[in-house]
Formats: sequence, structure tokens, C-alpha cells
Amino acid sequence: MNAAFPTPGADETQRLLSPEELEAALRDIGARRYHNLHPFHRLLHDGKLDKDQVRAWALNRYYYQAMIPVKDSAVLARMTDASLRRVWRQRIVDHDGDGPGDGGIERWLKLAEGVGFERDYVLSTKGILSATKFSVEAYVHFVSERSLLEAIASSLTEMFSPNIISERVSGMLKNYDFITKDTLAYFEKRLTQAPRDADFALDYVKQHATTPELQRQAMAALTFKCTVLWTQLDALYFAYVAPGLIPPDAWTPGTGLVAQKAAPGTGRIAAGDVPRLPRGVRMRHDETRGKHVLLAPERTFDLDDNAVAVLQLVDGQRTVSEMAERLGATYAADPKVIEADILMMLNDLATKRVLER
Amino acid sequence: MNALTPNRPDLPAPVGLLAELTHRCPLRCPYCSNPLELDRRSRELDTETWQRVLTEAAGLGVLHVHLSGGEPTARNDIVEITQTCATLGLYSNLITSGVGGALSKLQALYDVGLDHVQLSVQGVDAQNAEKIGGLKNAQPQKLDFAAKVVELGLPLTLNAVIHRGNIHEVEGFIDLAVKLGAKRLEVAHTQYYGWAYVNRAALMPDKAQVDASIRIVEAARERLKGQLVIDLVVPDYYAKYPKACAGGWGRKLMNVTPQGKVLPCHAAETIPGLEFWYVGEHSLGEIWRDSPAFTAYRGTDWMQEPCRSCDRREKDWGGCRCQALALAGDAAATDPACSLSPLHAKVRALAVEEAAENPPDYVYRTIGSNVRSPLKEEAPL
Repeated sequence: MNAAFPTPGADETQRLLSPEELEAALRDIGARRYHNLHPFHRLLHDGKLDKDQVRAWALNRYYYQAMIPVKDSAVLARMTDASLRRVWRQRIVDHDGDGPGDGGIERWLKLAEGVGFERDYVLSTKGILSATKFSVEAYVHFVSERSLLEAIASSLTEMFSPNIISERVSGMLKNYDFITKDTLAYFEKRLTQAPRDADFALDYVKQHATTPELQRQAMAALTFKCTVLWTQLDALYFAYVAPGLIPPDAWTPGTGLVAQKAAPGTGRIAAGDVPRLPRGVRMRHDETRGKHVLLAPERTFDLDDNAVAVLQLVDGQRTVSEMAERLGATYAADPKVIEADILMMLNDLATKRVLER
Repeated sequence: MNALTPNRPDLPAPVGLLAELTHRCPLRCPYCSNPLELDRRSRELDTETWQRVLTEAAGLGVLHVHLSGGEPTARNDIVEITQTCATLGLYSNLITSGVGGALSKLQALYDVGLDHVQLSVQGVDAQNAEKIGGLKNAQPQKLDFAAKVVELGLPLTLNAVIHRGNIHEVEGFIDLAVKLGAKRLEVAHTQYYGWAYVNRAALMPDKAQVDASIRIVEAARERLKGQLVIDLVVPDYYAKYPKACAGGWGRKLMNVTPQGKVLPCHAAETIPGLEFWYVGEHSLGEIWRDSPAFTAYRGTDWMQEPCRSCDRREKDWGGCRCQALALAGDAAATDPACSLSPLHAKVRALAVEEAAENPPDYVYRTIGSNVRSPLKEEAPL
């Protein structure tokens, strides 16, 4: 992989750095490339995004969260040292939890539900941007294919995360009335987990990057990881902020959300339902124009003969099937065909809130 | 009156009557659509005259009557007038602020056959709403009124006029409509005539705010399909084409003022030189057909370029005459809200400039105030 192309961050070190110099160099990568610097995060934290843009972020970020244990399992599988595995497996436990309803992924699902998503929609990962998937999967492949040192070094973005998390939590609580402390429970845990994980990984990298080449690899791995995060925000910005080009099949605002509790009388009308015209909707003959009209709040529907025949049977007593049978007898037609036609017309009127059941 | 048949496309029958029963109103909204010179109570038409007007309207082919004002429930005979609508088969729509005597009359209005209630809401946050409406404690009265409308089983529409003082509450208006059990919500960006024209700089939102509000409405329409119908009126100044004002001049609507003057639209009096007829002197049919105000801009013969040769001339009918006058200095010009108007860029720039300034204080509407029409003070663009 990448054999023919220079890796970003290459040729920056020729000589062997002291462990302290290496740490400083790694931190410098975060200072220049970590995604807290991305314009999307500025908008997010400053309350400049609308609810749907926050939703898009929560949904896409779920994919990253859900794949983190997959990534860590891949790292774990390469560790031959039991003491190392004992430490690393804690990351998987943190994310997956000890049982259902527990763990970081679950807390992220709560966040997604908190901004309005249906749980199953989020779990299906159907609306995730392809760019999110590509970035996250590149991360999983990276830790499987590169050296263990590079795999561990790539996790070092956690060194930079406590700052962004506290900034995010306070910013989002302050700026969005639909975000609550419960919604953001994920981040509270990460505030203690991330530094613990990062300390271990940093020590490992400082101990094992013992040649200029290994140090270069460790820095390149961290740079790569920053790119994984940055690219996800680029994709979000492009699709949901500007120019707002949402790719085919990606989530569009209004979908995948928990339906608000339906008002009485609303919802799809089925063959067994009894439709009725509510108060404030009535059919009358318009003498001036010589036709029937349906009068409704702030609007008038012109009715053709078929619509009139149907609406004359809407009396709050008959079911749609019974109406269809009657019309079938009158017009010598198949009631099943008529029923389908009536249902389409009645549901159209129901959507416009001028017919109920 | 028999001349008014659908076979005369140049003279369609009116479908709607806006009955401005009174200019009295407990609210003082800075974007009120009433004229700057408000009619006093002593000049208002009496009950019998309104009943005759309604009877003539039904004969002309009017289907919907919008009982408006001011606050229409400020009239003692609002129940009688509504009953007349019901007897004539006219669809009655009460356009109300929900404050003052509105709640106490609601049951009686329901009993005589009121069809629909359109309730204005100035804001979601009570303090903000009451600042805009200029009346303390208005918000709880409105919420009580809305609850009673829904409890009675009357269809409720919330009408929210949007401007820079409440554009951040669009999502909140949607939630409020759902919570109250409204069937419809009108998210209506301010149209800048009358009081709104005076207050334009205090009201004009910026383009990004307008775009965000449109996105919110579109998403909510999808989410609330079958539960809440949301009508969106976008602000003219940021539009590409103007709206067909009142469905085209003298084509669909007539507006009767409290003192019985009949207008093609509620702002038509801002156009100098138009001769309006009164219901006290002519039948509604004569006025619709022959009054100079209605014939002045009906159809397309009066149009100048670019309207005259435009493919859209019978879609938007040249836009709004009052706005053409206010912004272009000529009521027969193309509405400068239209991107084809030579003045469009200036109008757009004006909106952008005003939206960028700190908003001045509102000039609240009052009866008998000395607000001069800005048309005289401001040179046309």
C-alpha cells in the first residue's frame, strides 16, 4: 500500500528523536491536523448548524463509533503479548459494554435518538455517506495491514480529544435547545477513557519507535488518522452545509426519524376504515361555475364527477369497502378496482388534512 | 350580474371576499396589513349592510369569506354576520388575534356554523411574541383560545408572520402548531406594504436566515405529512419571480374595508389616483365589473415591458401593483420583486443592506397616529 507515493509527513525527521522530542512532534501533528480545526466543528460547537445538520453529524459519526471495536479487535488480533491484550481489550469493552444497553456505541445510539432518529434506521447504516464509510473502513484496513506500532500510533488522536469534547459538550448544550446532558452522556465517559487509552498508547509508541524510520512511520500513522477524521467532516460539510449536495441514497432531512405522535383521525386510510369529512370541510354545488367544489380551510378543491360520486358516499357510517361495493353496483365495475382508486383519492385528501377516519 | 359567467375569461367571478369588519385591534403588530390611515369605529358599516354585501357576494360566486380586521370579534355583531355566511352557504373563516373578546364569543360562533379559525401567533417565546404584538399577556390568551378551538372540533390554522425578530423561531412555530393540534400552519414571510413598509428595516431578515427557514419548513413538511399542512410564503425581495398578488388583480378576490370601500387587494389604497367605489353606492357586482379601481389593472392590457411580452404574464399578472408603485414609482411597472425588472438588483441590494444593519425600533400601528406614508418621503428607486 502506498509504495509508489510519498506518505504525508515523510522526510520530516532524519535523525533519531528523543522520546520527548517524538512526543512533541506527535502533538504538533494534532495541533495542525486534528479535526477540531475543521469548519464543520466550528459550526457545530458555535450553534451555527440547524437541527438537521446536527442530525447528519450524529448519524454519520455513528458509523465511526460502531466500527471502533472492529478496528480494535483487528489490533488485538495482532498482539502476541497477553499483557498488551489485557490492556487493549478494555477499549472493546468500553465501546461494546458488558451487556445489552451498555457501552459507548449504545450511548452514541442514545445521542442519535436524542436528536430524533429511529434506532433501527441508525443501526441499518443505510443513510451513511459513502465518504464516511470509505474513511472508516480505510482505518480498519490500515490497522490490519500496517505494523503493530503504526496501528497503535494511529490511535493517538485520543491525546487531543479531551479538549474537543469539553468544548463540544458546553457548546452544544448552550446553543441547541434539542440537546440535553443525557443526550451527550457518551462524551462524559470518554473524558476519562480517552486520556487513559492515550497514555498507554503514547508510552508504547515512545518505547518502540526506536529508529528514525519507525518514528517516521508512527508520525505518518497519526497523520493518516487525522485525515480519516477530517475527511468525514469534509463529506458532511459538502453534503449538508455547502454546497449541500447530498449523494444518492444518503440520509435526507425528514427521513429516518421517529414519527411524532399522530393526531387523532390522522394516518393512512384502509379499506376497513370509515372516512368522514371533518368540521370545516364540506362539498357544495357552485352554481356560478356549474360544478361541485369541496370547501376547506383556505382552499377550494374542484371536483370531477367521479370525486363527487365518492364524496357523496362519505357519510361517517360506511367503510371504504362498502363505498366501493355500492359504486361497483352502480357503475357495473369491479369493486376491488374501484376500492383501490377510492383509497388513493381519499388518502390524498387525508394527507391534505381535509378527510379523517 | 348574469354577465359574470366562467365563459368570460376576461372577467372571472370572484371566489373570495376579505371582509375587514373593523380596524380596531388589541394588537399593534409592526407589519399590520391595514392601511396607515385606519378607519374609526363611527365609520364602520352596520350589520344590515354587511349582510347585504354577503348576500351579493354569494350571488356573484364567492365561496370563501374571510372575516378579518383588525380584530373581527371586536364587533358586537360578529356572531350574526357569521350566521349570515352559514345561511348563504359561504365558507366562513375567522381571522383572529385570539385576544380581547375572541374567546368569549367562540362557542356562539361555533354554534352558528363557523367553518374555520385562523389564529395569528407573533412568536413562540411569550416575551418575544408580546414585544412584537405590542400587548402584554397576549400569549397565554392566544394559547387558551387555540385550545378551545381544537376542543370544539373546529379546524385551526396558525398564522405566523416571519421577520428578523422571530425567524429563529420557525422550528418552534412548527412544534407549537403540532402541540396545539392545528391542522395547518402558515409560515408567511412579511410582505412589505403598509405598516411593514414603514418598518421594513426593523423586519427584513438576511438571505441566509430566509434560506434556513425554508429548509426547516421543507423538512417538517415531509416529517409531518398527513398531520400538519404547512404553507410557506417566501419574501418577495429575495424571490426570482413575483407572486400573483391576490391571484391577479380583479380576478379572484375583493376586499371590503370597514367603511365599505371595495378594493382589489388590501393595500390598493396606497396607489394614488385609483377610484374606489363603496358598497353604500353600488352593488358588489357593479363594483367588481365596472369600478375604475378593479378595471385599472385587470387582465394584461395595462402592462408595460418586460411584462407585456413575458410568457409568465398570465401566471403572476405582473406581480404586485402596490409594490411596483412603492419601489418603482409607477403602479403599472413590473413588480421589482421580479428578476426580470430592471430595478430588481437594487431591491435585492436594499434588502441585503437593511438586513445587515442593526434593526431600528418598531413603529407600532395605532389608529389616528401621525405616521406619514413613506411613499412620500422616499424617492422611488
